[in-house]
Amino acid sequence: MSRRSSIVIEHLRQEQMEALLKVGKRLDGRGLTDYRELKIETGLIKKAEGSALVSLGNTQVIAGVKIEVDKPFPDMPDKGLLICNAEVLPLASAYAEPGPPDEAAIELARVVDRGIRESEMIDLSKLVIKENEKVYAVFIDVSILNTDGNLFDATSYAVVSALLTTKIPKYEIINNELIKTNEFINMPINTIPISVTMAKINNSIVVDPTNEEEMCMDARVTMTVDEANRVCAVQKGERGTLSIEQIKEIINLAIYKSVDIREKIKGVVYGKEKEQ
Amino acid sequence: MGKLIQNGIRIDGRKFDELRPVKIEVGVLKNADGSAYIEFGNNKIVVAVYGPKEVHPKHMEMPDKATLRCRYHMSPFSVEERKNPAPSRREIEISKVTREALEPALILEDYPRTAIDIYVEVLQSDGGSRCAGITAAAVALADAGIGMRDMVCACAAGKVDDTIVLDISDVEDKEGQADMPVAYLPNLKQISLMQLDGKLTAEEYEECLNFALKGCLQVYEIQKETLQKRYFSEVSKSE
Amino acid sequence: MSEIKRKYVLPGDYIVDGNYRLLLNAIKIGNSIHSTRIGIAEVSDDGVRVIPLSGVYIPRVGDLVIGKIISQSALAWDVDINSCFIAHLPAQDVFEDFNPAKDDMKKKFNIGDLLTCRITAFDRSRDPLLTVADKDLGKIKEGEIVKIAPTKVPRLIGKRGSMIQTIENITKCNVIVGQNGILVISGEDKSSIELTIKAIKIIEKEAHTPNLTQRIKEMLEKEKV
Repeated sequence: MSRRSSIVIEHLRQEQMEALLKVGKRLDGRGLTDYRELKIETGLIKKAEGSALVSLGNTQVIAGVKIEVDKPFPDMPDKGLLICNAEVLPLASAYAEPGPPDEAAIELARVVDRGIRESEMIDLSKLVIKENEKVYAVFIDVSILNTDGNLFDATSYAVVSALLTTKIPKYEIINNELIKTNEFINMPINTIPISVTMAKINNSIVVDPTNEEEMCMDARVTMTVDEANRVCAVQKGERGTLSIEQIKEIINLAIYKSVDIREKIKGVVYGKEKEQ
Repeated sequence: MGKLIQNGIRIDGRKFDELRPVKIEVGVLKNADGSAYIEFGNNKIVVAVYGPKEVHPKHMEMPDKATLRCRYHMSPFSVEERKNPAPSRREIEISKVTREALEPALILEDYPRTAIDIYVEVLQSDGGSRCAGITAAAVALADAGIGMRDMVCACAAGKVDDTIVLDISDVEDKEGQADMPVAYLPNLKQISLMQLDGKLTAEEYEECLNFALKGCLQVYEIQKETLQKRYFSEVSKSE
Repeated sequence: MSEIKRKYVLPGDYIVDGNYRLLLNAIKIGNSIHSTRIGIAEVSDDGVRVIPLSGVYIPRVGDLVIGKIISQSALAWDVDINSCFIAHLPAQDVFEDFNPAKDDMKKKFNIGDLLTCRITAFDRSRDPLLTVADKDLGKIKEGEIVKIAPTKVPRLIGKRGSMIQTIENITKCNVIVGQNGILVISGEDKSSIELTIKAIKIIEKEAHTPNLTQRIKEMLEKEKV
């Protein structure tokens, strides 16, 4: 996919981009470390236990959380299940095609999943109904509606926002029978992980790359940072390389950028709850 | 805590900055244009490189450079419980990052309209199989005579019992706190693979990365010895 | 001739510092020159080159190659030259004023025929083009086929053909050496052909070792019938 669209990008535009980057500017007027406008709307899918629609510039994704009751994994009998999936819908761009997820979509889902899992955002030990037998299974499915770069962050913010607003229908085992009660429990949250994706274009590091910038980038790094400012998951992608100095730069950049975005998500999620 | 490290020694008897035993062989498969076999701890991995060769299917052909393809695959018997032979999502992701770790080293522009295929087959798996696979693949690519800007060597570091250690084994990966696989182009001093599972502060991150790079350089020495032995040993005998 | 420094190198290995021309399989990292292949680096006033010791055959204009016809189209034969590119021999090259309506290409060559040819054109965007219009080129009628690694061909030929001439003079066999690693050996009797093949196999195995010509000569003199 990237190959075909790379033919589409105009060379003049690429030259312009690279010239601008040298003086610390970008094609859309942003500074190197500025995010595009982030819009989050939660709870819009009533059939899902949690949902969020995220727009990051023109990139638009929707995440839905469904809760089921399942058997735990044999090696983790005292933990609930967490399954994260992402799909680029055919309607998302002229280059997306229906069919099984390609390696880019698989990487996207696995990197977002890793950020949620490794930060221990959700306290899975609190999602047990009966040890060894019945646990809550949290299914998070993300659909990409429109692609304009940085699917990693947009997807991660949608997943995090949807999880933060998820209400789990409470189940109980009474006389060996699984019964759905009318009560709901809040998702047990430990921390709010924030994914920060940076692209290296001609030795400049920019955050939140657009589609156009991704077509020109040498390498991409996604770092997920928790509330204690620890890096929990990292993925370097694409064919370029990074120097040790550049890696040191992006660790600090990721930690710095994560603070604002976490506040923004908290504002949307908790602000809304207060209104209700 | 304290299960994996006791008195400064790790569960398998290693020091914090010690690699597991590494052994590489070159030219192990006769049909392949380049091949290598690596034992990295309990990992046993064979890698074949075919190419430059004709591109099939034709639509994958690129007019300005070679098409690089990579398949990382685990044999069903390579793990404790039989693995379904169909490629899992994990294997598809590792195939992608392996390709991206090797690609910056390869001068693909020299081979337009051709394909280079890398097959990484894990016969027995242990922690750090992607790093071992990348290390062996770089040796196989050199053996295949593909033009390379640099070698690629790979090694992981991580955090176990609150301590940064080199080269995470299977147990340390499952029970430990962080695992960071890194691939390095030692002469260009560039990092081509970097992933992390687990929590590290900014300071720990730098320390862990430095550990991983030291491991990469040790692996690089083993790669060089292996290739020199295979290609130049007759020289030393006759001189 | 200026002094040539030789050095065994691996991809990424440092060769030399300074402003040399990069002739073959060498790149510049900062101010130092590094190898891109496993091979023998040669540093001279001309520049730096690395003679590779591994790799498949990549066609070059002017190369003499031995190939097999694998298919035929209306205007050309397709020839397998042991490379990732299929080569083409245009019918024009064989027929004077070729007319596809009149001339029967099958009268000249057929699928399966072995040819000695020269590469006349090849670049990044086009498959190699062949010619058989020269002396010693064309269909191979007799001989024993031997395949060696294409990277060992320069050693088999030797400096100004010294190695291959040594072999031919002693065994009285004729060896056609394709740059693509395919050789055709013809000679008077079976045993001298076998001896020639033995010498070639030793050269392939020990291509990077010094004094090879001398050792091959001694071996041939000793075992010659």
